[in-house]
Amino acid sequence: MRAPRPLVLSLAVALAGGAAADCDPVVDDAVAKLGGEAAGVPRGPLHRPGQPCLLCHQDGIGNPQRFTVAGTIFQTTGALVAASGVQVDLIDASGASIGIVTNAAGNFYLTPSQYDPTFPVQVSLNAAGSRVQMQTLIEGNGTVEPNGGCASCHFDPVGPSTPGHVAVALDDGGAPP
Amino acid sequence: MTWGRLLTKACTSALLGALAAGCSAPSVGQFVPQRLPDEPTFSPVAELLVVRCGSLDCHGKIGRNLRLFGSAGLRLSPSESPFVPLCDTAAEVSQDYDSLVGLEPELLGGVVAGGDPSALTLVRKARGAEAHKGGTIWAAGDDSDTCLVGWLQGDLKPAACARGVASVLPGSTSNALLTCLAAP
Repeated sequence: MRAPRPLVLSLAVALAGGAAADCDPVVDDAVAKLGGEAAGVPRGPLHRPGQPCLLCHQDGIGNPQRFTVAGTIFQTTGALVAASGVQVDLIDASGASIGIVTNAAGNFYLTPSQYDPTFPVQVSLNAAGSRVQMQTLIEGNGTVEPNGGCASCHFDPVGPSTPGHVAVALDDGGAPP
Repeated sequence: MTWGRLLTKACTSALLGALAAGCSAPSVGQFVPQRLPDEPTFSPVAELLVVRCGSLDCHGKIGRNLRLFGSAGLRLSPSESPFVPLCDTAAEVSQDYDSLVGLEPELLGGVVAGGDPSALTLVRKARGAEAHKGGTIWAAGDDSDTCLVGWLQGDLKPAACARGVASVLPGSTSNALLTCLAAP
């Protein structure tokens, strides 16, 4: 038996739409607010520094590769200058640990095959011999996206619901909380 | 006026009267006062809840129920940010108290009076005895559970609260938040 052509066409359109969105209007809105790619920066390891990586890098149909933990490290709290070569050390609730070094954009990311932590997770940064310990745990309970993304909580401007972007130092050279 | 009309008018009046009586507020003497846990001693419990439950991706997030305010998460004042100021403010502690006692006030009164603490969803979720996105936060009878339950039943154990907070703060004794526990 052959399906009627309009039905086949409708299914094809629905599948194509599903590949381009999560079918979750909250996530879709959040993604739309991020805007397009920066001029001259192709999709890849260096793109979208400071944005909530896991908003797109999750398991949805048509989404890019899933990350478990990902983010961007900046040099200071007062400016968005990438901190490359910073080692991000993670220890999860089961004691599993990993260290990953930020790239030229300050980005780092981990796929499930590299590290699939049991939340909560402790994180510390090691840059040029100095160590900055995050004072609380990453609990992994995001309401919009799975929360292994730094920028889910760490975004600008600093305010009641965010400490601002992640940095290895305060503007005066001191360690951030 | 016919007898029929008179009867209709009487019935309507009686119905309206009954509705008015049914919808009116109870008199002062009819209110049953709820027993609430002690607010002046809530501060160590608030610190515990903020550190263990109130991170920015959990109950320190706008939109979650049991919204908690404090230094380690969502701040109450627009001029504040996480860790600035370092310790929970009095206004935040007060707001956290309101968040907690507003969850299940009738059941709470029973627990404050010495009833089974697991009657409260808050207690069950933290113990992992009920579905909870954050999973099991602590175990029945451990320091954090003792802190919360003790306070609910009028027997706050500050040392248990302090140990509960310290048990999850990265950096152990070097964590700046620990100084807030010693603050008045």
